[in-house]
Amino acid sequence: MDESQLIARVRAGDSAAQRALYDAHVDRVYRLAFRLAGDDALAQDFTQETFIRAFDRLGSFRGDAAFSTWLHTITTTVVLNGLRKVKRLRQRETDIDDAQAIGVMKRESEPDLKMRLTKAIDELPEGYRTVFVMHDVEGYTHEEIGAALGVETGTSKAQLSRARAKLRVVLADFAGEWT
Amino acid sequence: MTDQNEDPKFEQWLKDVARTTYHAPRPTPRDEMWARIEAGRRHKHVIELRPWMRWAVGVAAVLALGIGIGRWTVRQQPGGTRTVTPLAAVNDSSRDLAYQVAATQYLSRTEALLTSFRADPRPDARDAARFAAQARDLLSTTQLMLDSPAGDDPRMRALLEDLELVLVQISQLGAKGEVQEADLIRQGMNQSNVLPKLRSAIPAGPVPARTQGVL
Repeated sequence: MDESQLIARVRAGDSAAQRALYDAHVDRVYRLAFRLAGDDALAQDFTQETFIRAFDRLGSFRGDAAFSTWLHTITTTVVLNGLRKVKRLRQRETDIDDAQAIGVMKRESEPDLKMRLTKAIDELPEGYRTVFVMHDVEGYTHEEIGAALGVETGTSKAQLSRARAKLRVVLADFAGEWT
Repeated sequence: MTDQNEDPKFEQWLKDVARTTYHAPRPTPRDEMWARIEAGRRHKHVIELRPWMRWAVGVAAVLALGIGIGRWTVRQQPGGTRTVTPLAAVNDSSRDLAYQVAATQYLSRTEALLTSFRADPRPDARDAARFAAQARDLLSTTQLMLDSPAGDDPRMRALLEDLELVLVQISQLGAKGEVQEADLIRQGMNQSNVLPKLRSAIPAGPVPARTQGVL
């Protein structure tokens, strides 16, 4: 059965078809959610929300683009909006913690490559980080990224290039690893 | 524009390191998430009733209850002539009465469910499924109550919101019974004091006695 037939069966209320469609796409959705969220519970929440929205709105999917493209548009919307909420909440907590920690601050020891890389990617501007994670980490094409984020392919390429440039500067201490 | 910044060796190194170290996901928990998606969709369908639909359902429920009470009252008249009150003649006070009866019965049923649930620390799969089914049933009434005049009273609204939360949690209990999950729900119930609040909201006496006066 091809995907358009599967989607027609889902629209008709076939629960086995829903599960089949979910199985076909869940890995990629969950992986992207996890890479962007960096937290299993959040990634599961975002994946769950993505599929609930997708099934509820399947009637509006016209089939002009691939189902995966449509689904990844929902995924990125859910994840990025969700992360903005989490960031706001964490910022409030951090403000309180910072206020309590005044006077006991100490310099952190030099982190290793993994920590430095993670921190550097986390600190990229949202647009750069999203494109970098989708392209370089999860292997999406610029066309897929453009469709999912609603930007031109050229914008995606430019953001990736800027992300890499920033990371190269931040990771200059490790230049021996790639030269 | 950016070509001068490109460095294929760095880019390849960066990709390799990032793929293996940056928020590397664990294997996809497919079944776990599917169970939550199914539960979420079931719950969402209840929540996403439009306000006018909720009111329509609520009014229909009250009218049906009113008719039932009317018929029951007619049957109770000793040796009296059986008369049927026209629907249009149901006045405000009898609608209020019907509403009170419905509210009391709902609160009593919820109290019974929560008491049984709290008293059963290790529900087996069958009990967990029974609790979940009862909670789902009561959940839709809770949501109707929140949109009814009861929801205008701040104390009743707070109670209904607490009940909604507990009922949602119980309604999502898996078929395996999940002892830990049930324990967390019980802890939440204890912390919010939902059962004592619920009991204080129910008029004293057994259910038939509670409704006798109003009938």
